[in-house]
Amino acid sequence: MSVQTGRMAATSAVSKDDPGAFEAAVRPHYDGLTRRLVLVLGNEHDAQDVAQDAYLKAFRSWDRFDGADVRAWLYTIALRLAFNHLRGRRRWLAVLGRIETRPWTNPSDPDLWAALRRLDGRTRSALLLNVIDGYTQAEIARMLGVPEGTVASWISRGRTVLRTELGREP
Amino acid sequence: MSDLDRELRDRLAVLESHAPGGAEPPSLRRSTRRRSFAASMSAAPVLLLALVATAAGGAVVVSNLAQSAPGIQNPGQPLAGAQMECLTPPQAAAFLAERGYTDVVWQIESGDPVAGKDATTTVQQDVAPDHGFVIPGSIIDGRLHMIVDQQVGVTGVGACYGAPQP
Repeated sequence: MSVQTGRMAATSAVSKDDPGAFEAAVRPHYDGLTRRLVLVLGNEHDAQDVAQDAYLKAFRSWDRFDGADVRAWLYTIALRLAFNHLRGRRRWLAVLGRIETRPWTNPSDPDLWAALRRLDGRTRSALLLNVIDGYTQAEIARMLGVPEGTVASWISRGRTVLRTELGREP
Repeated sequence: MSDLDRELRDRLAVLESHAPGGAEPPSLRRSTRRRSFAASMSAAPVLLLALVATAAGGAVVVSNLAQSAPGIQNPGQPLAGAQMECLTPPQAAAFLAERGYTDVVWQIESGDPVAGKDATTTVQQDVAPDHGFVIPGSIIDGRLHMIVDQQVGVTGVGACYGAPQP
């Protein structure tokens, strides 16, 4: 099966002087970002909310973008917002009891989705950035704002859990 | 990359590609903040109505409570200012008996409220327990109800707030 990874679709350079440059550069990644956030947050509506927030925040920060990898930049903004969202959701769940938002109900690969859901949001994000997109541990560490060793342990743990859950030896 | 890694990558990528997406990004020409504010304004009458209804309902409930079962120590009530909260349950029972209150319902609250609803119990009996914080109650259907709080971590009330549990 041939699947194009997000890394391959990354834009290498964009113009920041063109007024329409933001939409031209960022919009193509919006759909993929929403799908990624569904996997990270486990919920379609939360994913759309965070994707919208990330898009608007990216727009406001456009003048600070370094012009390198627009997809990595957008994902960095979105994933950090997603982690804040998960922290907020945990706090509300603690206050309100077990009021769960409706999870994504019809994944194409239920076993893999069930295994993925066993990982916390940060581990899941790091694993997806590494396995699907091919970002290095150092790149992911910069994106998520954590030490490289932490990313290494997250990815290792994520792989172990997925392989074990999917019936393979770690 | 091992075969396992390759399989994992392909399965994850397919899973992600089938996740719900397709939503349009927000418009950058219209302010989302303004639209949110507009949405809030359109919902304002409904929210106001809900607020008024809640306030009115709450007032009715509170006024009914106050009218139907005033505290026995409240101003104007038979034992106003008696400070039974500073007595042990047996002392409170004796105090009440001296004043003619011999038919008393003692409601005992015990357990650990922090551990959850299922970890606490409420028992009613005719005899005062030997320990616990006394919380002066009310006359309900002709009988004086007194509460004794034996729950973990609770404090006293009124004049004896913060005192050690008797």
